[in-house]
Amino acid sequence: MKKLMIKTVILAVFVAMNLGAKAQLTGRQIVEKAYNLPTGKEQTSTLTMTLINSRGNTRVRKIKQFKKDFGDVEKKIMFFISPADVKNTSFMNWSYDSDKPDDQWIYLPALKKVKRISSDSKSDYFMGSDFTYDDLGDRKLDADVHKLLREETVNGIKCYVVQSIPKDEDYMYSKTITWIRKDNFVGVKKEFYDEDGELLKILTIKKVEKISGYWVITKSEMKNVQKNHKTIIELSNVRFNTGIPASTFTERMMMRGL
Amino acid sequence: MKTKGLFLTMFLVITMLVNAQENVGITGFARTYEGVNLETGDFSIIQQTLNLSFDKRGEKVAFKANPMVYHYNSDSLSFNLREIYADMYFKNFDLRVGKQQIVWGKADGVFITDIVSPLNLTEFLLPDFDEIRIGVVSAKMDYYIGNSTIEAIWIPQFTPTKTPAPNSIWYIKPEFPAPATFDWSKDKINPSLENSEFFLKYSAMTSKIDFDLMGGYTWDDNPTMHVQKHFAIDTTTMPPQPMLTGLTITPEHHRLTVGGASFSTEIKGIILRGEAAYYDGKYFQTTDPKAQDGIVKKNYLHYVVGLDFSIGDLKLSTQFIQQYILDYNDMIYDDEMINTATFLARYDLFRETLHLELFSYIGLTNEDALIRPKITYDFDDGFSILLGANIFVGDENGMFGRYQDNSMVYTKIKYSF
Repeated sequence: MKKLMIKTVILAVFVAMNLGAKAQLTGRQIVEKAYNLPTGKEQTSTLTMTLINSRGNTRVRKIKQFKKDFGDVEKKIMFFISPADVKNTSFMNWSYDSDKPDDQWIYLPALKKVKRISSDSKSDYFMGSDFTYDDLGDRKLDADVHKLLREETVNGIKCYVVQSIPKDEDYMYSKTITWIRKDNFVGVKKEFYDEDGELLKILTIKKVEKISGYWVITKSEMKNVQKNHKTIIELSNVRFNTGIPASTFTERMMMRGL
Repeated sequence: MKTKGLFLTMFLVITMLVNAQENVGITGFARTYEGVNLETGDFSIIQQTLNLSFDKRGEKVAFKANPMVYHYNSDSLSFNLREIYADMYFKNFDLRVGKQQIVWGKADGVFITDIVSPLNLTEFLLPDFDEIRIGVVSAKMDYYIGNSTIEAIWIPQFTPTKTPAPNSIWYIKPEFPAPATFDWSKDKINPSLENSEFFLKYSAMTSKIDFDLMGGYTWDDNPTMHVQKHFAIDTTTMPPQPMLTGLTITPEHHRLTVGGASFSTEIKGIILRGEAAYYDGKYFQTTDPKAQDGIVKKNYLHYVVGLDFSIGDLKLSTQFIQQYILDYNDMIYDDEMINTATFLARYDLFRETLHLELFSYIGLTNEDALIRPKITYDFDDGFSILLGANIFVGDENGMFGRYQDNSMVYTKIKYSF
């Protein structure tokens, strides 16, 4: 549940940023530009996650989320709306610009208390979906070694194809390959390879919209090709810079809920 | 049964009326719970539950009402208004007035500074914790300063721990050396300003550590048993000896002053938690012949330290708990120290639709345990099927071992809406 806002929603929440660079960029530079796309100081949205299993059965999770950048710390809070058994659960994350690990808390209405939880579980799958916390969040740029493999045209769009190999050999992916648009550094597709080097998952960006001047991926699909199940994430009610008070990101609001 | 039927009818009518109102949220669950005693094959419990929660919230005010209906066996109906309160929101503080459950502290499954809401132990520690806690009629104010909170609570009417009835499988019949009669005249605390309970807590949530400091001027939720012995002279012995012929036992709740603290922090991916409460004067039973009413007042410490961590996808949590009577002497009936541990392992499979869990209380002093494995399958969103067991093992004098005849397997099917 760590990094779940939209910039955030996928490694590739990539907003338009035309650099007009003539010189050939390195793999790291391309990924850095994609990571650093502007997403606004504040953001509010509703996230709907549809989990589809191999038989086509669906389960739906709905979350209302808020994010605010305080300079050296970015705070996010999420309120679970459905399904009914997790309703009123809330989750808060404080992410630091420094190397300090995130702080995270969860409020479980049945326990009636806010619990601090470990942020050391970025490889866990989020709410049973096909997205890990790392897939959803801003994985640190230098956690991987990036290499530009080639340039390729996908559906008529010119893309960089970048391979990223984690520095941590025990990481759940042996490598990822990302297709990033040359014109605006928005992600188009990403492949995830398991520890044996076999293709595990494919992330496909289905819809990108410009909202309040920011490009936002409003629909994406992650498919596990080994187990033949997938997750579709859709964002709605996306709003930027609406003046979210700092008091939103407190224990008080976690317990009070929406 | 007529009264209960009327109650239920009113309850359903109110539900329909509230449902007809706009903007009142209704959530809750329906649950069936059946348990079978492992030794006898008899049903330990046959329980159907309907839990309804009505919420309405505006910008400045809110209310919640949470009635619950328990249906036992084929004919026994129990209604419980678990919570009903109103909230008022101000810029820097909130007020909550009414019957409410209040939860304090950082420990899981044990109650250290979490002493505001008393416990319903009629089914020992087996129900979910939100069903073990009893709501208290109180006024609570939370004042917020940044990420810190000062919480003040006033409880005008004392509510004691609810214990099992004598016909319950969880009732432990006390043993006396002579026939005992009970005098219940001092068991009740009349609601008054003088008899009110007060609690105060300061809590802070920071990037390095979360911590609470608490204090309470309260009543002991469990009554102290004042024992008066009656003697006769045994003339059959030479010389004649005094002979114990009977006991008068007077349960009485006493005032307690409690101070405590708790913290929670993360160290290299591991959550370290701690919590302690110090009781300034708590009564204990003693065999000291000079002690009045067979009781002695001692200070008492109750604390826990715990860790939460993961090994791969396996989530683990463990706690060490100690109860310690200060200035102890060997005539006190309770042990000087009682050490307990808890252990929790949890593993989720199949995209978090199948959950395996093992939770245990381990009595280190008496070498006994309650082992609680369970498997939960989320058949659909909000619909779960649970198969579990409660295994009591170890020393019959221990808190858990004493219930070894009550080991059971059970199933719960729950639909949340």
